[in-house]
Amino acid sequence: MLSTQLKNQLIEIVGDQGVLDQPEQLACYAYDAFIEEALPDVVVFPKSTADVSQILKAASKAGVPVTGRGAGTSVCGAPVPVRQGIVMGFSKMDKIIEVNTRDRYVVVQPGVVNADIQRALAPFGFFYPPDPGSMNTSTIGGNIALNAGGPRCLKYGVTVDYVLGLEVVLASGEIIRFGSKNVKDVTGYKLSSLFCGSEGTLGIITEAILKVMPKPEAVRTLMVTFGDLDSTAKAVTDIIGSGIIPAAMELMDQMTLNAIEDAAGLGLDRKAAGSLLIEIDGVAEACDKQLKQIVEKVNENGAIKIEEAATDIERERLWTARRSAYGVFAKIAPDILSEDVTVPVSQVPEMIRTINDIGERYDLTIGVLAHAGDGNMHPMIAADRSDKAQWEKVERAFTEIFQAAVRLGGTLSGEHGIGLAKSAFIPLVMNRETVSFMKKIKQAVDPGQILNPGKFV
Amino acid sequence: MKQGLQNCGKCGLCLSACPVYGILKEEQVSPRAKLQLIKSHDNKSLESTQGLKEIVSRCLMCGSCAAACPAGIDHYSKFMEMRKQMVADHGESPAIKSMIYLLGREYRLKFGTGLAKTGQKMIPDALARSFKLGNIPIKNFPTLNPKPFRTQQEVIVPAAGDPVGSVIYFTGCATNYLYEDAGKATIGVLQHMGYQVIIPEKQCCCSVPMLFHGAQDQAMSNIRANIEALDPGDVEAIIVDCSTCGEALENEYPKLMEQGDDHAAATQIASKVTHIFSFVNDHMDLLTFDTAGDNPSTVTYHAPCHTRNNSQGHLAVESILKQLPNTDYRPSPDRDQCCGGGGTFFYEHPQVAGEMMAQKLTSVRNMEVDYWVTDCPVCRLNLAGNLEPQDTMQVVHPITFLYNALKA
Repeated sequence: MLSTQLKNQLIEIVGDQGVLDQPEQLACYAYDAFIEEALPDVVVFPKSTADVSQILKAASKAGVPVTGRGAGTSVCGAPVPVRQGIVMGFSKMDKIIEVNTRDRYVVVQPGVVNADIQRALAPFGFFYPPDPGSMNTSTIGGNIALNAGGPRCLKYGVTVDYVLGLEVVLASGEIIRFGSKNVKDVTGYKLSSLFCGSEGTLGIITEAILKVMPKPEAVRTLMVTFGDLDSTAKAVTDIIGSGIIPAAMELMDQMTLNAIEDAAGLGLDRKAAGSLLIEIDGVAEACDKQLKQIVEKVNENGAIKIEEAATDIERERLWTARRSAYGVFAKIAPDILSEDVTVPVSQVPEMIRTINDIGERYDLTIGVLAHAGDGNMHPMIAADRSDKAQWEKVERAFTEIFQAAVRLGGTLSGEHGIGLAKSAFIPLVMNRETVSFMKKIKQAVDPGQILNPGKFV
Repeated sequence: MKQGLQNCGKCGLCLSACPVYGILKEEQVSPRAKLQLIKSHDNKSLESTQGLKEIVSRCLMCGSCAAACPAGIDHYSKFMEMRKQMVADHGESPAIKSMIYLLGREYRLKFGTGLAKTGQKMIPDALARSFKLGNIPIKNFPTLNPKPFRTQQEVIVPAAGDPVGSVIYFTGCATNYLYEDAGKATIGVLQHMGYQVIIPEKQCCCSVPMLFHGAQDQAMSNIRANIEALDPGDVEAIIVDCSTCGEALENEYPKLMEQGDDHAAATQIASKVTHIFSFVNDHMDLLTFDTAGDNPSTVTYHAPCHTRNNSQGHLAVESILKQLPNTDYRPSPDRDQCCGGGGTFFYEHPQVAGEMMAQKLTSVRNMEVDYWVTDCPVCRLNLAGNLEPQDTMQVVHPITFLYNALKA
């Protein structure tokens, strides 16, 4: 329980409208899109960097945990306050401070929704490349804290590749700023890399300078279906292996395709064992050439049907369907676990075979979708947590999936982050010295361990 | 198949669809949070409190969350059940209670609106100028129909010329008591097309306002009366000019009657319910327009949430407006943004509703149009009610606009 004194301090800082402490309010900040939940003691909505600084000073003094929260769409439990304390909500610090396409950057507050940045840039012919499935809801603060990715990160890279500079409040309440509005800046440590993916354990992001890109002149989108999943995966490695880098290349197995079709009714081929949603962008002539090469490669792998989205509306429908994949799985069973192990792209066929094999052995429903072009797999297990025996199998299956990925030269997470979901598996990919190095950094900047405690570090 | 609470994966896609979350930016008002609260309340881990009722009430019942939900959850029914529970636990405000009382019996409503009309005339100007009901200034409220619309009509209105068929017209309360122009236009257009229009005498409030405020028991007698009154026989369609009434007849009645004897009748009615614009869109060949004149009217459209989320009527409205002669249709960039009316939402949560409205007003003013059309009476009341004296556009039902474009 929070002391009355601290609660009063919070009210003094942000006003009583900015502090929530009733049970029915707190219940709404206990979760993200992951399955674990934990109630905070209080929720506070800062309006400025100064508010954040004062809150952290007060929390530090009282030794109370503080967990940052954007829109709560992460799928690893990162904003779940497992040690209670304060949840700091950023959805109201949502101003776009500056749009400067001449110098190719935007300055935003952490609560700005990813899609709102896209909307602000569109009239200038620019865009912000990272496009997580949650982009219409998720905030940029959360995107940075989780180092979010998305389909087109295959070609463009993930969030860390677009963070030019940050303003961060440390646990002590001190405000630090690093990076700049320059696309090239090698002054000192690259601290933005440290904070991208830190999941709120090192500091609270209060402002960000992001690199933006001119919109490509042409976009082409293909939907290709295959008779078996193995050829689908092989087509992916063949395309990437031949030096073509599409903007996005999404693999969906039959189960995923059917789940999406049930929800969206797009007329996708329900019988296809595997499918690829491929998007290329760039100069029109180059797209023509790449498209031809891609068609060649998928045909070599026995593509059954190749369809191109004829209009922007059609393209948007395909992507809406793809983005809804996580949600549609929720239809199948009460609980859904989505993981995002990543392997070198040449290992994609082997990884998919392994996942299916694990699913069969444990008698589990596993759908496979993947940002296949960069080896980022999203096996999704639909299960029921109240069925203890089944849940045990789910946990064992996931452990095996992690082990298999690492064996193939892969890693735990391509874009979702570690949160509560994967912290136990960190030793699979980091030796003791490396984990200890992370702990030393954490200890140095947050000696009181108040920032998002109970997570991976 | 609609899904239950346990299938919410908490993915958060509903947050971007919810107009209330868009303004307040607090998780607890989001559809995802409301499902979570209902779940916690159901499994007894959360007590029923006035605060819980307040959160549950911060909802337009617009259905945008359900339309966006990839897991196919029926938010609508869940929210309605929860509202009922909350009213049972904590009561309802006197204003809402009297609304339910009036809507529950047609004679009360008739009497009540009669009184209100006298009242409207008696409100001193100074008072009317400075007071607001919800986010709408009193002086901007529409005057009630001189006589209830249905009492001015024959039960069977013959087609103009050779009849091609007949339809039933469910007028809804708004047309009956407030916006008779929409009713006259609906009948006029249907007659022009060659339809005989049947207006059953015993029809009454569709019950949605009562259902939204947890008064399910009071609603049931209306629903039964309507099921009896609307027996479709061999009519081609049951026409509605309000998508909320349409939604109730099409989706809620069969659901609520699932266990009752009236289920078959409710399902039969549901299969015939058609938005007036969907009906017109399917029969455009039956209409002749006045093509004289060279000074086109400029018009834009506000798509009500219930039209967007429950029927495809908004697409029909837009497609027809684009085709009309002497009409310069200007699509609005925020056509699909909620205006904040939401039944009684504008009254219960004026500040949130006001912010939603402000965005719409700015964009419509930039469009410089003669008409701002919308096919929902609450949207219409809200849009028109928030205009300033210097705003020259007229807010009408699109059917009135269409009727005026016909060749006499």
